Amino acid sequence: MKTKILSFVAILAMVFAVNAQRDLNQQPTPGPAPKIKLGKPEKFKLPNGLQVIMVENHKLPRASASLTIDNKPVFEGDKAGLSSMMGSLLGNGTTSVSKDDFNEKIDYLGANVNFFQSGAFASSLKRYFPEILGLMADGVKNSVFSQEEFDKEVERTLEGLKNNEKNVTAIARRVEDYLTYGKNHPFGEFTTPESVKNITLEDVKNNYNTYYRPNNAYLVIVGDINPKETKKLVTELFGDWKKGTIPAYTMPKATNPETTEINFIDMPNAVQSEIAVVNNIDLTLGDNDYYAALLANNILGGGGTARLFMNLREDKGYTYGSYSRLSQSRYAGTFRATASVRNMVTDSAMVELQKEINKIRYQKVSEEELKNAKAKYVGDFVMDVQKPRTVANFALNIARYNLPNDFYEKYLENINAVTLDDVQNAAIKYFRGDKARVFITGKGIEVLKNLEKTSDYAIKYFDKEGNATTKPEMSLPIPAGVTASTVVDNYFEAIGGKDKVAAVKSVMIVSNAQVQGIELTLTSKQASPNKTSVVVSGMGQTFSKQVFDGSKGYSEAQGRRKELEGKDLEDAQARKSPFEDEAYKAGELVRIEPIDGNNAYVIKYKDTEIFYDVKSGLKVKAVTTAKGPQGEVKVPRTFSDYKEVNGVKFPHKTGVKQGPMDLNFEVKEIKVNEGVTDADFQ
Amino acid sequence: MKKTILTLTAVATFFSAKAQQVAFEEYDLNNGMHVILHKDNSAPVVVTSVMYHVGAKDEQPDRTGMAHFFEHLLFEGTKNIKKGDWFKIVSSNGGRNNANTTDDRTYYYEIFPSNNLELGLWMESERLLHPIIKQDGVDTQNEVVKEEKRLRVDNQPYSRFLENVKKHMFKKHPYKGTTIGKMEHLDAATLDEFLAFNKKFYTPNNATLVVAGDIDVKEAKKLIQDYFGRIPKGEEVARNFPKEDPITQQIEAKAYDPNIQIPAIMQAYRTPSMKTKDSRVLDMISSYLSTGRSSVLYKKLVDDKKMALQAGAINLSQEDYGTYILYALPLGKVSLADLTKEIDAEIVKLQNDLISEKDYQKLQNQFENRFVNSNSSVEGIANSLARYNVLYGDTNLINTEIDIFRSITREDIREVARKYLNPNQRLVMEYLPEAKK
Repeated sequence: MKTKILSFVAILAMVFAVNAQRDLNQQPTPGPAPKIKLGKPEKFKLPNGLQVIMVENHKLPRASASLTIDNKPVFEGDKAGLSSMMGSLLGNGTTSVSKDDFNEKIDYLGANVNFFQSGAFASSLKRYFPEILGLMADGVKNSVFSQEEFDKEVERTLEGLKNNEKNVTAIARRVEDYLTYGKNHPFGEFTTPESVKNITLEDVKNNYNTYYRPNNAYLVIVGDINPKETKKLVTELFGDWKKGTIPAYTMPKATNPETTEINFIDMPNAVQSEIAVVNNIDLTLGDNDYYAALLANNILGGGGTARLFMNLREDKGYTYGSYSRLSQSRYAGTFRATASVRNMVTDSAMVELQKEINKIRYQKVSEEELKNAKAKYVGDFVMDVQKPRTVANFALNIARYNLPNDFYEKYLENINAVTLDDVQNAAIKYFRGDKARVFITGKGIEVLKNLEKTSDYAIKYFDKEGNATTKPEMSLPIPAGVTASTVVDNYFEAIGGKDKVAAVKSVMIVSNAQVQGIELTLTSKQASPNKTSVVVSGMGQTFSKQVFDGSKGYSEAQGRRKELEGKDLEDAQARKSPFEDEAYKAGELVRIEPIDGNNAYVIKYKDTEIFYDVKSGLKVKAVTTAKGPQGEVKVPRTFSDYKEVNGVKFPHKTGVKQGPMDLNFEVKEIKVNEGVTDADFQ
Repeated sequence: MKKTILTLTAVATFFSAKAQQVAFEEYDLNNGMHVILHKDNSAPVVVTSVMYHVGAKDEQPDRTGMAHFFEHLLFEGTKNIKKGDWFKIVSSNGGRNNANTTDDRTYYYEIFPSNNLELGLWMESERLLHPIIKQDGVDTQNEVVKEEKRLRVDNQPYSRFLENVKKHMFKKHPYKGTTIGKMEHLDAATLDEFLAFNKKFYTPNNATLVVAGDIDVKEAKKLIQDYFGRIPKGEEVARNFPKEDPITQQIEAKAYDPNIQIPAIMQAYRTPSMKTKDSRVLDMISSYLSTGRSSVLYKKLVDDKKMALQAGAINLSQEDYGTYILYALPLGKVSLADLTKEIDAEIVKLQNDLISEKDYQKLQNQFENRFVNSNSSVEGIANSLARYNVLYGDTNLINTEIDIFRSITREDIREVARKYLNPNQRLVMEYLPEAKK
């Protein structure tokens, strides 16, 4: 009978399977939502103020203890770095155990115990946990501070600071905080060699005795524990930790600028610019619009599906990742939208970041975006809620932020209740596109030229310590031994070598460009030593002509002919053909300047500056300053797409910019040592 | 009395090890795809992941970076997943996902609430069966990968050390390059080359699928068969990497980094595959030298003598070879040569003397702690199962590798130090600020 039933079930299953034949090309739909249960931690409070949260979980034979001393941050001024130094010096032995014994015991048990300015952390296998918790408690209550350890820590801190002097990311964050929160704010100040030197051993001891106290402290214990026994143990170990008097402190208010500003920090070694659009916010966990703000940020820059990532990475390829972050705080919160981008696209990336911030302020997000953002929070909640660490964190947040006890039970409900209007209101309130500080930390010489062109806002300059400074030098020093002459020789080498260049006696180049639908043809003929002829024609007529036969010449435009005389004649006589560069050797090598991300030597010769790429040696640009009716105008010409003809490389693309006109000539024909006669220069 | 306590401890060790056995089931599909299932219903989470046995070492020498680049391309879309929708599908269903590439393998994974097991399987099957690899995707990801390199390597202090160490450690084997590769190689790569790479390495018989978490095993097997059973088998991948000649003379080299102010000294030794017991012994030696504040190098160089800002040992274990690196950053005016001398003295001690019983027990305790913590999340378990299967060929090492560590003796430690950590077998590299060049 039993077998019969089994086979019946099997057949049923098969029928079911056939009916449920899935279309493998279709995205599957989710099954019924999994049931979740919120774990309940055990809590108690010691008379000295220490609040203890315990979460029992027997999955692995281990346990951990995490101590958070939740004091209000304090401004340290000329001793910035004091509490951090106190934290580093904790655990170097106690009144009853020497440093070496202390460390040896922890390591011997394969455990971890760490101390820091705002707490401590310990973890170990279950069977060593009571001993490890004991060591942690000893360090918390009875740490000793010796002159020797102090001196060593000072030296290490100074070296560490030195080591970060070229770290672009570290400098960027330091200056950002300094300007965002202000120099008199605990979140804004930073440790400097001077402030470290102001700190004494006595200061460290005082800091420990004043602030490292149980008044505002939480101890979270998670793992394979028995809560009753652990409560007893904690009471024994931490019960005599003495309460202190934490000094009152009023934090200054961080303010946003009146209007958006660009703050530039020059880091000559940067290969990427760190961009951050930052504003101060007033947002605390549990605020009414907290959920709307979370969702708005998630849609803007919360991850790999958010707008910033899709725009700056997936669409434009400017960055490995672009994100935004809303940091809630009881003291001073911020909104930051960031990207690390290559130097060349710094200005464009900044524009896109600002564009996205403004877009989410001024236009409602779509229903689908909101639905997806909610799903993300629901998913994270469902997946994490049963982890013991999450249960503990929830309890800790409820206590620290004074939240209602059912805060996390209502969390999903509150997320789901957010509307499109709520999201927009939160975006307007918290993403201050209009009153933001934009920080750009990067290589000024490669970044600033475009940034100045693109930016709608004034650019302010700051040094690595956040002090206002002037715009960085926009050129690089010229290496010893490099002169105009070596640059030009190097150019000849790059296009084929001196001998091959010398063998070229005449050149004819025919190129075309389009302007307003008309095809222009430029025919240039050059012969040694200085003969030249340039004819521009189109639609069957000649627009302009310039000719020089070695001693005299003329220019002709719209039927009017003008003989070369005075300075123009002198210039023509000094010219070298077929390679004008020969003459530039007499010019002056003035600087190195980056063009489109590549450094170029710049030679100034008469009214023209000529740019040769440092790496390739090739000529990339020439800018002539001409006197026009409205004063000086700069006429740039660019050279690219070098290809060989008779063993010598010629640029096959030449761009000329004259006023509003942009002409791009492409070579149709080049003839070397043929097709040119003296008649061409008459 | 003492004896009783010891026995009790031994029993306790035994139980704790048993208590965290990772139960799993493994089998092959007809197309050669290896499947590993691990059921854990303690939280409503499911992980679907695939590890492909392809990494940077499988690249053509003039196409380095291809494997990692490919990882980026395989998020670009499939026949049934529009370009740009991959991440959206995952997050709008409450999941998380990512991927990573090493010299040896490429790993993709999704973590979903458990009602989306089928979705995870469908997405991974789409990635293998229907990827769409097109020029516009290649062009975008080319820029993205370059930014990744600038972000993680070019703009970060000390981040070029590995590239420089490997260059000297390996002359023939592809470990001589980096995973991220040379950007000019990526620029030169054609669409056809990408398609050929996909055809060669992205086959079910070169992949291991792991499904871990809150699953019904029977249902999971059925879904796996439906989604992955349909994928045709590919050609077997032949692997024939060149062997390195032994290093017989100390290599001395310098490398420069524009993002640092304080130099570093590095001593690197070529060591055997991570599959060997010797490689695990080297893991233990690393711990002995640099795990915890009582470890030898930290205590001596950083704490007592105050010669170093940092000091440590890294055992970079890989499938074919390992690279064992000792390093230190000088404090103040201490010279790099003096640091080398001090580090060498400790190695010589390891070679001449047995470590103390107490230090030996400390190592055993540290490795047991590591073992317990290594299987603390279902994501971590999925990754370990895949790694042990693909790279070590023994999935059950997730439970038994600790036994190998337990079997290592003090004599083994001395033997391995003698065998591999000799001056004539190594590179000594001065890693200097660019300004000093």
